[in-house]
Amino acid sequence: MSADERALTVAPSTTTAWNRTRLGAFLSQPLSWVFISVIGIVGFLSLYPTFFLFYGSLTDAPLGVPGHFTLGNYIRAYSDPEAYPLLLNSFIFGLGASGLSLVFALTLAWITIRTNAPFRRIFELTAIVPNILPPILVSISWVMLLNPSNGLINGLFVKLLGMEKGPFNIYSMPGLIFVESLILTPLAFLIVAAALKSMDPSLEESAKTLGSNEFGVMRRVTFPLIRPAILAAGTLNFVRAVESFDTPAIIALPARIEVFTTKIWREALGSFPTNHNLAATYGVGILVIALIFVYLYRHFTSQVENFSTVTGKGFRPHQIDLGRWRFAASGLALLLLVLLVLLPLLVLLLVAVLPYYHVPTWRTWHNLTLDHFRYVWTTPRVHRAFANSLFLALAGASVCMILASLASYITVRTKIVGRSLIDGLVFIPWAFPGTAMALGLLWAYVDFPIPIYGTIWIILIAYVTRFLPYGLRAVSSTIIQVHKELEEASVVCGAGFLATFRRVLIPMMRPGVMAGWIILVTILLREFSATLFLYSPGAEPLGPLLYFLYLDGMRGRVAAIGLVISVISIILIAFAQRYSRWETN
Amino acid sequence: MLRKAQLAFAFFTAAIFSTAPLYSQSPSLIAAAKKDGKVVVYGSLESDVADAAFKGVKNKIGIDVDYWRASATKVMDRALSEFRAGKPVVDIVLTNDNPMQIMFKEGLFAKYDSPSAKDFPKEAIDPNLGPRYRNVIIGVVYNKDIIKAADAPKSLEDLVKPLYRGKLVIPDPTQHTTTTQWVASLDKLMGKEKAAKFIRDLAAQKPILVESLLPAAERVATGETPIAITYVKYVYIYGQRGAPLDYVRLGKFMGDGHYLDLSAKAPHPNAGKAFIDYFLSADNMKTLAKAGEFVNRKGIYPPIPDADKIQFVEMYDLDSKAFAEKKKEYQQIFLH
Repeated sequence: MSADERALTVAPSTTTAWNRTRLGAFLSQPLSWVFISVIGIVGFLSLYPTFFLFYGSLTDAPLGVPGHFTLGNYIRAYSDPEAYPLLLNSFIFGLGASGLSLVFALTLAWITIRTNAPFRRIFELTAIVPNILPPILVSISWVMLLNPSNGLINGLFVKLLGMEKGPFNIYSMPGLIFVESLILTPLAFLIVAAALKSMDPSLEESAKTLGSNEFGVMRRVTFPLIRPAILAAGTLNFVRAVESFDTPAIIALPARIEVFTTKIWREALGSFPTNHNLAATYGVGILVIALIFVYLYRHFTSQVENFSTVTGKGFRPHQIDLGRWRFAASGLALLLLVLLVLLPLLVLLLVAVLPYYHVPTWRTWHNLTLDHFRYVWTTPRVHRAFANSLFLALAGASVCMILASLASYITVRTKIVGRSLIDGLVFIPWAFPGTAMALGLLWAYVDFPIPIYGTIWIILIAYVTRFLPYGLRAVSSTIIQVHKELEEASVVCGAGFLATFRRVLIPMMRPGVMAGWIILVTILLREFSATLFLYSPGAEPLGPLLYFLYLDGMRGRVAAIGLVISVISIILIAFAQRYSRWETN
Repeated sequence: MLRKAQLAFAFFTAAIFSTAPLYSQSPSLIAAAKKDGKVVVYGSLESDVADAAFKGVKNKIGIDVDYWRASATKVMDRALSEFRAGKPVVDIVLTNDNPMQIMFKEGLFAKYDSPSAKDFPKEAIDPNLGPRYRNVIIGVVYNKDIIKAADAPKSLEDLVKPLYRGKLVIPDPTQHTTTTQWVASLDKLMGKEKAAKFIRDLAAQKPILVESLLPAAERVATGETPIAITYVKYVYIYGQRGAPLDYVRLGKFMGDGHYLDLSAKAPHPNAGKAFIDYFLSADNMKTLAKAGEFVNRKGIYPPIPDADKIQFVEMYDLDSKAFAEKKKEYQQIFLH
């Protein structure tokens, strides 16, 4: 027997033994168990309801009823030549809205975090406020301000400048993009701001030492360094815009602009009875688009080392002295905040004191009322909804951030085979349109062996499933910037994985973690699309309550509750910002 | 003495009748309902109207109502999904005709002949679903601050006059199910040929399209668009809050019916039955009418001018195939 033949003969048993040793070594690491637990939890949360939707897209009966295998839903959904121009419309809308939201967010984040512009801390706090407002109310506010018939701003132009007709028309593609971008800006702001706060200023200082001016530093150093955060925010906002239905329903429909979600609504979700199979099929299409963007995002951020800027050296983010221009910077930030916060909030306040929703006239001022606030104050149903939502938002956001921190550490910092699976898994449920996903959750959990259907826990599970990507993006863009040398130092000093994670990584990731937590709390406080299908009657959270009041035309009550939610959220945000010690970081 | 005895008898009789419940309800059923403790209702009845009705349930029967409010389609989705999965939560489903018929065909409802049903007119009793307790009536509503009564349209046909071009808002018939049904049923009012021409002329007016009937009414209340095709009851609901709305007296108005039924797997069946008895009672019908609803009881009308003169015409029931076809047809007419 030749040496080669001997090698071939012993190879199988040697390989098995070697594999066993490798598996043993893998399982002996605490990190491996963390990986197995995270992938197990995330995999279950995401694949279980998604399975029902995929299955639904391939059958001819509503989910829950045994049907026959068919590709008919895919043929019907994607053989329609009308679908493709609508996809193009959605693409233009998504790209425009996410692009404009990035411009707004970057400008605001740069002014409030990296410059010495006056009042920057107040601007920073208020920039998150729009995330608290139900998007539907923001859209309605802008319709009241910019509609061509009697929009308040148009009316002002007509009166002051003697124009025949107001210059703005909200019912147009630019109007649609503008309003959606305002809705999306806070999310981009939180992600970009967290990255700007975590950045090591020494690179910028080096560039300055080498003779670059402030603009050059910004262009060549600052922006390339926060590129992962920009891409993360852009990806999230693009997908969010493409799957949004509320703004197109209010603005695109009267403008006769059709986007893909209006088609999904007409043919599947809004059809009678709901065509679950077609809804799931369209959902799969949006999922594919979303996954392409996840792939692009990962491609852009794959060279992790290039972005590592939080090192072992202590630092404060470099503050740029704008000199006389600092007031202009404050003016610009103020202008953005007027668009983002002040105008919608003023309209909301107005609606909250009007007896019914209308454009105010002189007669209106005699009829102002506090009835809607009295309703909030005196109705036990509203109090219960606040208590339920606060519990769900705080618990949901915290669970999401713990999972997101572990998941992003594994995907960004380890070389474990299959780590990129986590990213994809997390993104799957998020990429489905909200209502389609809510149906998937309902079908998945209504027949679940553990009796959690009809309890508050099922809503918590739904929140973690659907909103984990927000947390993951916020943490990932920060963890990418934390240099490995800190972990290595911790390991050299004898700390295990959990101790290093708790004592080194969590404190360094704190801006990202807190940014994600804030995003989640504000979203979960008013979430309704998944909650609506899952909450048990009698244990109603705020989202469904707002939705029902909106459905019944009680804009005043919705606005009053919206304002109270805003105040609660601002208190939570202030607390979270203080706790995150962004300034000292 | 005899006169005194007659007076005492009359007083006694009046006292008995004045304290008797205005609805038929057996005490044993009320006791069993109280044992059940609560009733779970899935429905599309508007929150304020529902609150007023449920207050009565609490006062008269002494049970709490856990209410899940959603659109008719979502009510059906949830009730059917739970039913199919064998996880029944709901006792009473309360929504529009079409989804109720589908749920009936799926076997979701138990047969319950409420004693209160006998007070409804025969034509308002569906053999499968029981009494149609209210009609949701669609008409032409306008803002009287912008359009004077003399200048307002007098009929549906008037809406297609050039005078009203750009002044009309309607829910998108290619998306909003009830509006699809309304447009498809127009031939009940004007005959096939006239209806087909009217639909084309209406589309040629390029009306502003919105998501549903409520935003259409809101646009009229705000003055953004002066005329809408929407629910007539908004004249009262918004009018109460100060909005200057009125409606065109068309004589015949189309609309949909609302029903309520007991789930075949109701976890609280006695509470469900007691709920139905009270809900269909004259007492509750008055409460609903007071809130602006068109209930199916003779002599009980909402506080809307000329409400008693409205002749209700029920829209066609469309199946899913007919809905899809109509939506496609209206897409060609209204969107191209």
